[in-house]
Amino acid sequence: MVLQEINQALQRGDVNGVTQGIKSALEQGLEPRQILNEGLLAAMEVIGIKFKNNEVFVPEVLIAARAMNAGMEVLKPRLIETGVEPIGTVVLGTVKGDLHDIGKNLVRMMFEGSGLTVHDLGVDVSAERFVEAIKEYKPQIVGMSALLTTTMGEMKATIEAIKAAGLRDQVKIMVGGAPVTAKFAQEVGADVYAKDAAEAAFEAKKLVY
Amino acid sequence: MKPIERVSLTLQHKEADRIPVYPLLCGVSRKLVNASYPVWSTDMDVCAEAYEKVTDMFGLDVICTLIDLSVEAADFGQKIVFPENEAAHPDFNDYMLKSTKDIYTVEPIKFPAAKRMNGHVRLCDRLVKSKGQDVPVVAFVFGPLGILSMMRGQANLFMDIIDDPDAVKHGVAAITETLLEYVDALAATGVHAIMLDTLFASQSIMSKQMWLEFEGVYVEKIADRIREKGCMVMVHNCGTGIYFDAQIQTMKPTAISFLHVPDDCSSYEDAQAKYGDKITFIGHVPPTWLLYATEEEVREECRKEIAMHKAGGGFILATGCEYPANLSFDKAQVIIDSAKEFGRY
Repeated sequence: MVLQEINQALQRGDVNGVTQGIKSALEQGLEPRQILNEGLLAAMEVIGIKFKNNEVFVPEVLIAARAMNAGMEVLKPRLIETGVEPIGTVVLGTVKGDLHDIGKNLVRMMFEGSGLTVHDLGVDVSAERFVEAIKEYKPQIVGMSALLTTTMGEMKATIEAIKAAGLRDQVKIMVGGAPVTAKFAQEVGADVYAKDAAEAAFEAKKLVY
Repeated sequence: MKPIERVSLTLQHKEADRIPVYPLLCGVSRKLVNASYPVWSTDMDVCAEAYEKVTDMFGLDVICTLIDLSVEAADFGQKIVFPENEAAHPDFNDYMLKSTKDIYTVEPIKFPAAKRMNGHVRLCDRLVKSKGQDVPVVAFVFGPLGILSMMRGQANLFMDIIDDPDAVKHGVAAITETLLEYVDALAATGVHAIMLDTLFASQSIMSKQMWLEFEGVYVEKIADRIREKGCMVMVHNCGTGIYFDAQIQTMKPTAISFLHVPDDCSSYEDAQAKYGDKITFIGHVPPTWLLYATEEEVREECRKEIAMHKAGGGFILATGCEYPANLSFDKAQVIIDSAKEFGRY
């Protein structure tokens, strides 16, 4: 019952409903892993499907993700105590010269909602910084976002830098952003193109499983 | 046939000598006057010279005065960054509206003090005088919800819509009051049309119902005012699944400039069948695709689009959004040549 309440509260973007629900669930002795899977991740999966089907849109996803983050703040210490492992690791960033972050942030939220650990490098991320982050975090996936035609070229430069560092075989590279297309992704040597955040999360899960 | 005659017939859904064409050559025009982006964006004499040159050099059929999406927000007090080689944008680390409550402080501004908007008015005035006899001049204005997003940050604003809808409506209403004065001033220059960019009227952002509630009712007032002042209303929207029906319902545009298929259509052909007799289509060559497409591929895309939309007028070949600002003019020339080659009636 309480898990269902958490799930519904998250889908409504109700921060208080989610955090109070998690506290109640913990008090009732439910396992943190079960709260995560059946309360939070299941709700984010519903949001992802509805987003893909144009049943909910960016505002609804943003408030759901905000509620997810608030819930994770409560749950994370208990998850660490019980040793719950993420399903995979992602390094994510908006490419050099590009300061737009809404799309990248949506992707981060959907990734986190899928059980992935995300190292968000932020915006205006240089190729060198991506390379350093791969060495540091050893992700399975590198995600790059660009909103501008003037910065899309940086995706290619970053992929080249990853190759030059001898790291290309260690990661799958996913690209996206308003001006990016599947053909462009292919042209620059990315492995996966995602047209929106929901698709990015769907593709990421396929890559790590 | 002069561009203005060609476009006029096209907008009446009559066949001219050929379809009109204008790849949205805006920021890229700075190259023709050796100006940096900041200079082109802020010195309206330089900007006008660039628009005049690009129009003459490529024989464009329309001048559309898109500078950047920060023109209006700057005058409301948003700090703007002017990069050397890309369009100006808000300082993403310093939005002027720090909280949802701050939106209640947005008020209409004193239009005579609006530096960038008045600069745009002067640009239009010069272009109408220098080119307007032969080439229609379309003034580009960002929609009020988009302007508010430039002052608050998009993600913040989208959550505000749900957290405090009255705050957002207050902000949009205040901006709309200023935009009414703005379109009055633009119309007074003699521009032929004003193009409203209603960026958020698309499935890529928000539901149709939400858009109607938070921007639709406001742009309806602006569109009515534009028509009262004797100008045509045009709409630009480069989002996916754009809401043609909601935009037509609220703004009754003469033409819509678009990139992607509308939300209630399965294809461009379907869009043509559903809306082709109601509005003029402007589009829809994908600008980012131009970065890596071959000239032959661009030519073929243009041929296909022209074949799809040209019958009976009502189609202007254009890029679906601004031509990439750092690309050479070669692909633009291919688009223009294609209109002349395949677009003859």
